[in-house]
Amino acid sequence: MPEITDLMETGQDSTLPGAPGALAAKALDFLRKTAKIIKNFSLLGKLSLAVIIFFIVLAVFAPYVSAYPYNLPSGKSLAPPGGGHPLGTDDLGIDIWAQLCRGAKISLIVGLGTALLAGLGGGLLGIISGYVGGILDKFLMRLIDIMLVIPDFPVMILLAAFLGPSLINIIIVLALFSWVSSARIARSQILMLKEKTYIKSAELYGAGAWYLMWKHFLPEIFPLIAVQMIRLTGRAIISEAGLSFLGLGDPTSKSWGLIIHYATSFKGIYFTEFWKWWLLYPWLFLTAMVTSLAFISRELEQVADPRVKR
Amino acid sequence: MRQKTRMRLIEYAITIWVVITLNFLLPRLIPGDPFLVLTSQSAEDEEIVLSEEQREFLFHYYGLDQPVYKQYFIYLGELFRGNMGFSVYYKQPVSHIVMHRLPWTVFMVLSSVILSTLIGTILGCFSAWRREKWVDKFLFLFMIFFSEIPSFLLGLILLFVFAAGLGLFPLAGAVTHFADFQSGWEKAWDVLHHAFLPIAALTISHLGGTYLLGRNSMTTVLEKDYLRTAWAKGLPKKRVIFRHALKNALLPIVTRVFLSLGSLVGGAILVENVFSYPGLGTLMRESVRVQDYPVIQGIFLVVTVCVLLANFLADVVYRKIDPRVGS
Repeated sequence: MPEITDLMETGQDSTLPGAPGALAAKALDFLRKTAKIIKNFSLLGKLSLAVIIFFIVLAVFAPYVSAYPYNLPSGKSLAPPGGGHPLGTDDLGIDIWAQLCRGAKISLIVGLGTALLAGLGGGLLGIISGYVGGILDKFLMRLIDIMLVIPDFPVMILLAAFLGPSLINIIIVLALFSWVSSARIARSQILMLKEKTYIKSAELYGAGAWYLMWKHFLPEIFPLIAVQMIRLTGRAIISEAGLSFLGLGDPTSKSWGLIIHYATSFKGIYFTEFWKWWLLYPWLFLTAMVTSLAFISRELEQVADPRVKR
Repeated sequence: MRQKTRMRLIEYAITIWVVITLNFLLPRLIPGDPFLVLTSQSAEDEEIVLSEEQREFLFHYYGLDQPVYKQYFIYLGELFRGNMGFSVYYKQPVSHIVMHRLPWTVFMVLSSVILSTLIGTILGCFSAWRREKWVDKFLFLFMIFFSEIPSFLLGLILLFVFAAGLGLFPLAGAVTHFADFQSGWEKAWDVLHHAFLPIAALTISHLGGTYLLGRNSMTTVLEKDYLRTAWAKGLPKKRVIFRHALKNALLPIVTRVFLSLGSLVGGAILVENVFSYPGLGTLMRESVRVQDYPVIQGIFLVVTVCVLLANFLADVVYRKIDPRVGS
């Protein structure tokens, strides 16, 4: 069958990194596809995307969009919004808007870091275990069973308390408890793919595990893992906020959760008006970010997996 | 069937063993000297170290001069007798403190599980019945929105709006201290009044999952043949939905309820801290603040074992009510 070998060869050629024209065409194609997906979003999905983009811009340009430093007092303490401080100041007189911009960066770092680590690590584990099978697969399945029933938040508190508060530690702890979902998805997909005829024929033509992985498994599984990673980002941001709220956050990098922690630890916050800016704005930012991420992953789920319908 | 139950039992036993071992190993794997900061309030004044004799006494007292495997067996033995160590900060046995706080957490978690399941299922059925009508669309949007907000954020806003702003509910605690209750009813009312907002926060953020599942499950059941028969018999709508369909739509909900218990407990720990509710969650925050590791570990162990037991129970119940799984 000459056609199949031809196809395989031409397929290989187009992915060679040396051809800039092909790369540009690929990028353009990717952009066009993305635009099409976004166009098909519901109103809620588009709104969520706008919110996320807003936060990303905020995080990237944090030093430029806030007039005051995020770590030094710049006014009267507990000043209400207005008069130079758009969202007021906290008990030390630090500008809340500046802190929120900085917090966006921290939340995104934690969220994306965890998602990358857990999504890629879990996905890879799932692929290997599904493809290799045998003892390794059995062991991983038992491990996943155990991870699924252990309540994750108490373990996170325990680990965070022992490891000590630092951003890297928090990312590691969160990733340790979020890889399970992507591993399961990847594994079940591999088990299904392994039985497909085109994989079998590729194997018959001498395709090795490495080749199959890059050529067939990853392209098939990546969209599902990517959606899962967006979901993980949201969950990691929530968990980080929870840990920070309990006082287990990294004090040197003030996330939104930590601002809420300080605000709620302030004595007498309930009997004053301070919460209307000190607590409300980080709350709004956190809620908007988390719900937007969830809505986007919901929309993308329908694109990546046509079987998932409401 | 009995054999399957036994298999599950073994699996759960292994999980509990893993958790206990993790609990034993963690403090020993982390670098550092446990007695370096024991006497000091913060890490800065570490200079106040113990004398060599004191250190040796403490090492011996906690059995840390023994080989690790011996420590492990001692730990297991003590745990088996209900000894989870001694709190450095509270100067009480850990088991005593934990058992004192546990009922409040159990009360909160159980009430919100029951409430969210009941309300979620009913609303889900209602939505499936009125599918694609405006009620369904509105409920669906409302539910997916609230199910994505984490419970402690929900609790924070409830606290500030209803308790701090409007003054409808107490700000913190589980009962009014030093109150002179005339009757048991009055006391029960007081407890419910305090518990209302935390339970509401947990219930609302948990409602969405049950609702979506109930709606999906109901929609599939409604398309079954035996329901067409029920309709054809001319039974009233309510009877068809709540008698014929609900029974079969309930199965996936039952499993979900118990499987979601773990995340609910995580939420409860945070929500308790929002409302300063005197359960295990607030205890955990306090112990984290004063670095009372035996207490943190004790809470972790008790919570995990409770969740695992509940999951095992769910397995057994599920096998009982679904004849297809049992045989």
